[in-house]
Amino acid sequence: MAVPMTKRRLLTADEFQRLAAQGFFPEDERLELIRGEIFEMSPIGDRHAVCVMLIEDMLADLRPKGIVSTQNPLRLSRQLSVPQPDVVLLRRRRDFQSRPPYPEDVFLVIEVAETSLVHDRDVKIPLYAENGIPEAWLVDLNSDTIFVFRRPSSRGYQVTREYRREDEISPEAFPEFRVSVRQILG
Amino acid sequence: MAVAYQRRLLTIEEYHQMIEAGILSEDERVELIRGEMIEMTPIGNRHAGCVRWLIRSFSSTFASRAIVDAQDPVSLGEQQSEPQPDIVLLRYREDCYRSQQPRPEDVLLVVEVADSSFIYDRDVKIPLYAEAGISEAWLVAFPSDSVFSYCDPSPAGYRKVRQYRRGDVITPQAFPDGSFAVDEILG
Repeated sequence: MAVPMTKRRLLTADEFQRLAAQGFFPEDERLELIRGEIFEMSPIGDRHAVCVMLIEDMLADLRPKGIVSTQNPLRLSRQLSVPQPDVVLLRRRRDFQSRPPYPEDVFLVIEVAETSLVHDRDVKIPLYAENGIPEAWLVDLNSDTIFVFRRPSSRGYQVTREYRREDEISPEAFPEFRVSVRQILG
Repeated sequence: MAVAYQRRLLTIEEYHQMIEAGILSEDERVELIRGEMIEMTPIGNRHAGCVRWLIRSFSSTFASRAIVDAQDPVSLGEQQSEPQPDIVLLRYREDCYRSQQPRPEDVLLVVEVADSSFIYDRDVKIPLYAEAGISEAWLVAFPSDSVFSYCDPSPAGYRKVRQYRRGDVITPQAFPDGSFAVDEILG
């Protein structure tokens, strides 16, 4: 229904994280703040879970330069957002005990899409671009394709490339580190 | 493709906790409508004046027979809503509902004053009052220079709607002896 002349009261990233820290939401709910609104995330299917596990295992080779964080909140304060990307490759910092990761700490964000392709591609990827996250990968389990997004701008990523099973990909920040798409898609 | 994402709606309890947690400040004009926090439109002079006129006239007409509430929240638990109608006429209670929040069945009449929010009030808030079983609602509609009265609530909306224009007199169902000139309500 069209609801003219009304606005939702949006939450900031800080407000959302404050509620989370207070135990406001039940522990078993997977929620993300997207542009000020709270969304329920779809449950993770087996194939999605395995894919995230394999990516995590592969990226572990990038230690000690990077830290791999899976399905944890990432504060994108300017966009009133706290998504939970499937995988985030972060710059190693000594002060993560005292501050959460921010976009400037991120090398690469990876989203795995089984049922959430449209939302990931049209909502979350642009959000990462707007926050200047240098690179994002979208692993589409339906088309067996990995979309790689680079050159972030306020209007989205300016470069998109598609990779298939026979291809190899490297994170832009680690060009010498090569992974085969087959390893990720199975 | 299946929709994998859904807005996480709030319950009334969660909405209250959000106020207690200091996320929503007391002076923020927000109401909970079907699990969503909606910002209320700012009140213009004409709207404010109309509400003042209604408070004064209702208070003097219904003196000790009803309680006049202005812009206070009304909890509609089943609808996960807590709107703040412009006026609520409550069944009289000696303690002015100090010990218990008014329930929908305590409400004799709800009045919404609408200028820019007319469509929202008519299409979202009035049906909400009907679903909650509130026996009567008035919508003072500046855009059409008239007052709509809604009676006979059902889950699908009010079954009876009447439009009162300038020159007409409108009477609350609960108090057939109290009548108000539409001209005076509209100002």
